[in-house]
Amino acid sequence: MEMIEHPPILHIPAIPDHVLYTWFVMAILVVVSLVATRRVSLVPTGSQNFMEMVLDQFVKELDETIGHEGRRYLPLIATLGLFILTSNLMGLVPGLVAPTANLNTTAACALIVFITYHVIGVRKQGFIPYLKHFAGPVPLALKPLMFVIEIISHCARPLSLSLRLFGNMLAGHILLAIFFFMMGFDGMLGWALSGTLGGIAVGAPAAVVMVVFVVGFLLPLKILVAFIQTFIFCKLAMLYVAAAVEEAEHH
Amino acid sequence: MQRIVTMGLMAILAVPGAAWAADAAGGGDLAKAFAVLAAGLGFGLAAGLCGLGQGRAAGSAVDAMARQPGAIARIQTAMLLGLAFIESLTLFVFVIAVILLFVKS
Repeated sequence: MEMIEHPPILHIPAIPDHVLYTWFVMAILVVVSLVATRRVSLVPTGSQNFMEMVLDQFVKELDETIGHEGRRYLPLIATLGLFILTSNLMGLVPGLVAPTANLNTTAACALIVFITYHVIGVRKQGFIPYLKHFAGPVPLALKPLMFVIEIISHCARPLSLSLRLFGNMLAGHILLAIFFFMMGFDGMLGWALSGTLGGIAVGAPAAVVMVVFVVGFLLPLKILVAFIQTFIFCKLAMLYVAAAVEEAEHH
Repeated sequence: MQRIVTMGLMAILAVPGAAWAADAAGGGDLAKAFAVLAAGLGFGLAAGLCGLGQGRAAGSAVDAMARQPGAIARIQTAMLLGLAFIESLTLFVFVIAVILLFVKS
């Protein structure tokens, strides 16, 4: 991977790249929030309008998934969503690193969701009744089996949540890196500029075809994937919270 | 004619890849060779089967949307969630392939 990947623009040896660019994402989000809330008015204008529009989408999804109680969890879901979306989109800029293309970052997000929805469930319902719900509505003899299966399925949730985001981002990253490598000075463009007849006849058109393919197809696809993965992560977090809250309302 | 052009284009695209492979095969041992083989075969299999599964899911979703245009938004949400679950299995294989290829044992 070191062969085809260039180091990012800003690289401090003592700090891992994903941590550095996580701070960068945090700075962007803090500045945007400060600018949006500096002069809060009833009729929003400018950046306040933009942020209200973005958060309104989260509120709509929360109302749809969790119900009337969903707005309490807006800070959790919207923070995760904005962080992940900004990180995903930052990976599209050449020279910058997407923090979500590293398993540590996505695992941290997934563990936050995992712990939070258990805490919400326990607080809603108490520790023992919450544990009882793991056994489910089955006959008494089957309850230990159900309990073990349910524990395993709950432990698989953060695993799949983190690996899905990480895999999507890393796959797009490697794909773009390979294409940039193949059309760059080590690939088609270098061949075209080398002055040989084959390079001019074949390398130059191939380089053009590759640039058109990357700009016209791969980058739009990656933008779509960035939004869809954010949506999936937030929707699943909402569903997990909704499951923990709903169980409380049954009894 | 068209076929010849296509074949030629594919051969051109394969040139840097072939040179690259010849470069990499110099110092590798047997385990590395099998790791590369396993990564390629495994990911090809996973991608193909994921395509079958996602095709079924998307086809059914489009079918449902055509029958019930009023419920398009909810069907779309369910379809995206289902596609994400199907795709995550492929991504597990992708992560394993990356580990096989890039992590030095």
